[in-house]
Amino acid sequence: MKRGRISQQGIVFVIFAALFAAFAFLLPGFASTQNMLTLLQNVAVLGILGLGMAIVVIGRGVDLSLIATLAVPPGLVLQMVQDGHSFSGSLAAALLLTVAFGLINGWLIAYAEVPALFTTLATGLFLAGVGQALLFNLDVVQWSDGMAGFERLGQGTAFGVPMPIIVFALACVGVAILLRQTRIGAYIYAIGDNPYGARATGVPTRPIVVLQYVLAALIGCLAGLVMASSVNSMPTRIFNSTWIYDVILVVVLGGIGLSGGRGGVVNVVIGTLLIGTMLNGMTIMDMSYSAQNLVKGVVLLAAVIADSFLNPRNEETAQQGDI
Amino acid sequence: MSDNILELRKATKLYGGAPAIEDVDFELRRGEIHALVGENGAGKSTLTKVMAGVVELTSGEMFVDGREVEPKTPLEARHLGIAMVFQENSLVPTMTVAQNLFLGQEAYYNRLRGIYIAAQQFLQSLNFDVTPTATVGLLGAAKKQMVEIARAVLHQAKVIIFDEPTASLTPEEKKYFFDLVRDLKMRGVSIVFISHALEEALLLADRITVLRDGKHVVTDDARNFDRARIVQAMVGRDLSNTLYGKRKTLVRPAGERVLTVQNLKMAPMVKNNSLSVFAGQVTGVFGLVGAGRTETFKIVSGVLKRDFFHGGEILLRGRPVRYRVPAPGVHDGVAYVTEDRKVEGFFETMSIARNIYLGLLAKFPRGRFFLSRAEADSTGVDWVRKLNVRSIGGKAKVVELSGGNQQKVVIAKSLVQDPSLIIFDEPTRGVDVGAIVEIHELINQLADEGKAVVVISSYLPEIMALSDRILVSRQGKVVEEFSAREATEEKIMYAAIH
Repeated sequence: MKRGRISQQGIVFVIFAALFAAFAFLLPGFASTQNMLTLLQNVAVLGILGLGMAIVVIGRGVDLSLIATLAVPPGLVLQMVQDGHSFSGSLAAALLLTVAFGLINGWLIAYAEVPALFTTLATGLFLAGVGQALLFNLDVVQWSDGMAGFERLGQGTAFGVPMPIIVFALACVGVAILLRQTRIGAYIYAIGDNPYGARATGVPTRPIVVLQYVLAALIGCLAGLVMASSVNSMPTRIFNSTWIYDVILVVVLGGIGLSGGRGGVVNVVIGTLLIGTMLNGMTIMDMSYSAQNLVKGVVLLAAVIADSFLNPRNEETAQQGDI
Repeated sequence: MSDNILELRKATKLYGGAPAIEDVDFELRRGEIHALVGENGAGKSTLTKVMAGVVELTSGEMFVDGREVEPKTPLEARHLGIAMVFQENSLVPTMTVAQNLFLGQEAYYNRLRGIYIAAQQFLQSLNFDVTPTATVGLLGAAKKQMVEIARAVLHQAKVIIFDEPTASLTPEEKKYFFDLVRDLKMRGVSIVFISHALEEALLLADRITVLRDGKHVVTDDARNFDRARIVQAMVGRDLSNTLYGKRKTLVRPAGERVLTVQNLKMAPMVKNNSLSVFAGQVTGVFGLVGAGRTETFKIVSGVLKRDFFHGGEILLRGRPVRYRVPAPGVHDGVAYVTEDRKVEGFFETMSIARNIYLGLLAKFPRGRFFLSRAEADSTGVDWVRKLNVRSIGGKAKVVELSGGNQQKVVIAKSLVQDPSLIIFDEPTRGVDVGAIVEIHELINQLADEGKAVVVISSYLPEIMALSDRILVSRQGKVVEEFSAREATEEKIMYAAIH
């Protein structure tokens, strides 16, 4: 391994800067303050989800059920308040559901040893199904009077900065401290780097894996609350969208290797900025939805290929089932 | 036409600078059965892999029928008429016997019926009692081997190489296998086989070659050998080789009984194993590959996953323990230093200091929710100095170190946990000469400090140099125990070979 090689986050940052400069120069209105705030606001939810995904990917897992935790527990809050329950009671119920869901994910992956890919694919479908079949009356759960005041989480501003951006920033700080400054973070990196080594060293690997999925679920729920309060409703059909791929795109593009143990919050921020700039620019250019998908597909493919070149898998430790 | 169907001259294969085989001359005569014997790591497997095209020679020449060849892949070797039957067999378990036989040489369009008929006729011509339509995965070890042999014959192999062919066979199956091999010989096929079972080599082979430390020791007709002469040739090292220090003269007395294992069972590697380990001395555990040494101690430390068929008792200072995962073992002062540091040892993306600090975090989590960089750095510096880890700069990642220094980091990661029972599994595998001496000094020092130390090794000189007590393991259990004073290499090897 030679030092001073080009890191993926460096490449991505340069691409982001170039793209940003090109858009600012070529697209009228792109560089305006108003558009910058819109751009950040639009990607704040994606960025928060990226943080949740980052925690599990660093621990050599993946969580495809993030969108379900984004849609269902916040949807439950809206539905329960609509049905006349108190706001705080509804919030508590939703958090309980989120934690229980995270525990189930974690238990299946850590103790029952089902690969994360299959576990979260199935549990995500299950949770979305429970929401749509049992909890919600309509596909779009509407805001009601009981929620008055809470919409500031999505629509308010502090010091002139929209709240979603502030929530994203706070979440970044929180996750960064968790990953870099605490014992739990050190364990997560150890498990992602070498799960067998971590186990043999005496790291409680299974509880830590469970914790990763609980944290991811909670962060997904937070992202959902921000989203619901900024649009005054929860469109629960969002689970059927391809949003989860955008989240993976943010994480992989930012340079968090899918083989685990690498990267951090900085990578999520860089990935989010690039995706945000791309999407915003394409929208201003009035590109069609399918053309945007085409561009996103190419970029994700390029990022995954770059990942496998820059973070080559260790053949001896790679095993079936991990992604 | 030469007498030798296959010949190697001055064959040398280096792995990262270290020779696995060095200047080995080997001749296989037409229609003979030739046995290769030697300790673990003597170079038998490498030598046969060279012949089969699995491994390429670093230098040296190989001749088939007097013609110089350089097979680079198993397929090229097969075209030269050389086939290898691997220890781990290379059949596709979900396919039928017939499909496996014709795998890789199917016609563009195959009728299964056609294949079955051809396979049936072919197997009958060999007198093999295998059903062509049976699924390979459901067959026993002996039948799988038959399919492999049949495939080799089908490919018109002139030379068939067997790696430990009888290891997984029952006594009756072994007898049947011997008949098969003799039958192949009658058909003019030349056979090379690796064996740990000396009786088999003496019984079956026409000639025997003994390898030791990657070098050729002796080749002679089997009738000129007996068991004692082979064992002597296998272990009779150049005793002027002082790498492993002087033979032990002073034996440390046994302290408190730290570990007692009684009738430990876990299919298929550990069978009713019983042993004890005492404080203040080094207990050496010797055995050949497959003797269940590593598995036994991995169960003790909780590293090996338990299966459903385990039994027996483990007592740590008289208290029964049975760890499901290593974490509680680590807290009780048990440390297992792995034989495979890449897979179970270090964290490759992290610095030396961080690796060692993780050991500390895992054992003593109290009051350490927030990490302290100062503590990590001082712990790292401390242990790097204690174990003399050499690196370019303190921030070097562990993957960038040499094997010996990596091993020291893995050891430091365990020692920082202040264990009272330390299990070293092959502590000097893939380690450079200078570091071997340092690691051995460290192991002796730990025993002098009163720790219970276990050293598992397949390398006899290492066992002899370090151990106060020597346990010999064979087929899943400890079969004999020696004090270092009475042990000789011959006695130990004799006990280890079945």
